[in-house]
Amino acid sequence: MIVRAAAKYRADFFIEKDRYQINGKSIIGVMTLAAEQGAQLRLVFTGDDAKAAADDMVALFDSGFGEEL
Amino acid sequence: MSDDIQSTDGSEGPGPPKLFNGIGASPGIAIGRSYRYEKTAYQANERVIAREDVERELARLDDATRLSERDLHKIASVARGQLGTESANLFEAQALMLHDPEFGAAVRRHIVEDLWAADYAAQTVMERHRERLQRSGNPYLRERAHDMADVQFRLIRHLQRGQILSRIDEKAIVVAESLTAADLILFSRRNLLGCVMDHGAQTAHVSIMARALGIPAIVGLQGAAAQIPNGSSIILDALAGIVIVDPDEEQLSKYRAKRERYERMLREQRASATLPAATIDGCRISLMANLELEEEVAHLKWFGAEGVGLFRTELLFMSDTGIPDETGQFACYARIVEQTRPMVTTFRLMDLGGDKIRLTGPSERNPDLGWRGIRVLLEREDLLRPQLRALLRVSTKGPIRILLPMVTELEELRRLKRIMGDTIQEMKEEGIGVSEDIPVGVMIEVPAAALQAAHFAREADFMSIGTNDLTQYVLAVDRSNELVAHQFNEKHPAVLRLVAKAIKAGVEAKKSVAVCGELAAQVPAIPILIGFGLREFSASPIYLPEMKRVIRGVTTAECEELARSCLEREDATGVSNTLTDWFERHKELQSPFLSNAD
Repeated sequence: MIVRAAAKYRADFFIEKDRYQINGKSIIGVMTLAAEQGAQLRLVFTGDDAKAAADDMVALFDSGFGEEL
Repeated sequence: MSDDIQSTDGSEGPGPPKLFNGIGASPGIAIGRSYRYEKTAYQANERVIAREDVERELARLDDATRLSERDLHKIASVARGQLGTESANLFEAQALMLHDPEFGAAVRRHIVEDLWAADYAAQTVMERHRERLQRSGNPYLRERAHDMADVQFRLIRHLQRGQILSRIDEKAIVVAESLTAADLILFSRRNLLGCVMDHGAQTAHVSIMARALGIPAIVGLQGAAAQIPNGSSIILDALAGIVIVDPDEEQLSKYRAKRERYERMLREQRASATLPAATIDGCRISLMANLELEEEVAHLKWFGAEGVGLFRTELLFMSDTGIPDETGQFACYARIVEQTRPMVTTFRLMDLGGDKIRLTGPSERNPDLGWRGIRVLLEREDLLRPQLRALLRVSTKGPIRILLPMVTELEELRRLKRIMGDTIQEMKEEGIGVSEDIPVGVMIEVPAAALQAAHFAREADFMSIGTNDLTQYVLAVDRSNELVAHQFNEKHPAVLRLVAKAIKAGVEAKKSVAVCGELAAQVPAIPILIGFGLREFSASPIYLPEMKRVIRGVTTAECEELARSCLEREDATGVSNTLTDWFERHKELQSPFLSNAD
């Protein structure tokens, strides 16, 4: 879900956890990040539509993903 | 035909001849070298490519990725309709993995920098990720490792496809644990001489495909495949269901002679293709063809077919490209009808599910009693409408009939007719020409439909009795389950009674009724069916000449008498004994080769 949403934007998107950074457009990356509920994550967006991508992603995180990856 | 097989009496020849018994699934004799096909091994070996092949290897990776993706989207779309969003998402997630930038970049790097073959590179990268997931303490993520394995195997299978094919010598006899109909189509492009497999039954799809392609096949060897080494000299006699490995010179010359006789008989049969199919007392029987491949259409006249009684459309689109849209389907149907007209072509709407094409993976515990045939179509307009519109469009090009698979309830027929009526209206409004009179028929293959055949005969324009499925449902025997397959017998009196009932219903309603299952092609069954009043048979084209020979040797009166006595028997053995006696008295009808007798 994260990956699909991220793919809509040109902006690069990274997720960081415990100083470990993965490509947010990579489903394999997101999986291996193994974010448990309550984990602290930092989302990094770079690129010309970074703002829109960030807004979209924050909304998605807030909505709780409907329990899916 | 020549074969480069020598006897094995030479000094370093392999052991003495070995003989294996199986079931002849597609008639013919092949003599050649074996090629062992291991389909379970989607394992890539470490392989380095030449620098100038990098581009080609990357292109191969792209192709395989695209094919895998197409598979997954197809599965996902079907899963969504049937299993819900959650399981569909699993497949969509697999498709995403294929396009994963991390994964793709790493695989490409290995190909470009390390000169690894694409399959090895993909396997290595995927296994690295899988290991990481498997080590995770999170059970959800460990589960995802299985998804990754699925993706890996699917991709490698597509990557190795070309190689598997190029490894097969022209004119080999393929030996495998099991093959799918799709495998067979693939191999047929290398002109394989024949195939031998451990699993399968005469009525399995791969067997039907082998007959359609005219490839001699033996199934049900039960573990023998493992004992036939690659490159062995083998004789495959699919007329007798025998495989001889490392034959001696005497056996080779004996089977070369038998092959010669068999081919001569085929030539004679072809010569009789133009004779009318009628009994001695002048009762006309129409012989129609069961087809599944576009390539078969060209041979119809050659076998003396008077039309297409059953075109199984689901197999037309079994290739990697998936089910085409309306335009694509229309083009395909039009090519067929342009060759078959003025003869009628009966298109059966896609029979998905069951043992045909699994829409839902392993999740249906009992797919043959599950979501298949018309049940799928009525729920999935996205599948039904393009096919229906394509067929309706083709109706102006030549006579067609539309046949509905797996009908149980009258309401299913009525609903389909309503949808068809609406579609015709809609197409007229769009200015698309549609023939006014397209007969709509039902398959009688569910016992309920056979029992209510009189009702169906009133509302359907024609009926086609599918004896393979009918038998499986009446006798509660899964024909592909080797533990009970011996109990599968289309000439069981209980099955015959239902067949007789359905034929009678059609005759009384003055509606055309055909038998299109394998039963129609069995020599001993032909006089029984004529005795029931059947006047239309539809079978694999390869059987039609032999069927005609039998039809031309009987009278309707003797057939009726035989049919009556078969119906009175207690069990399949009783029917079989009655038939043996009858054919004893009609020696001239016995087949020299194609013994379909039990």
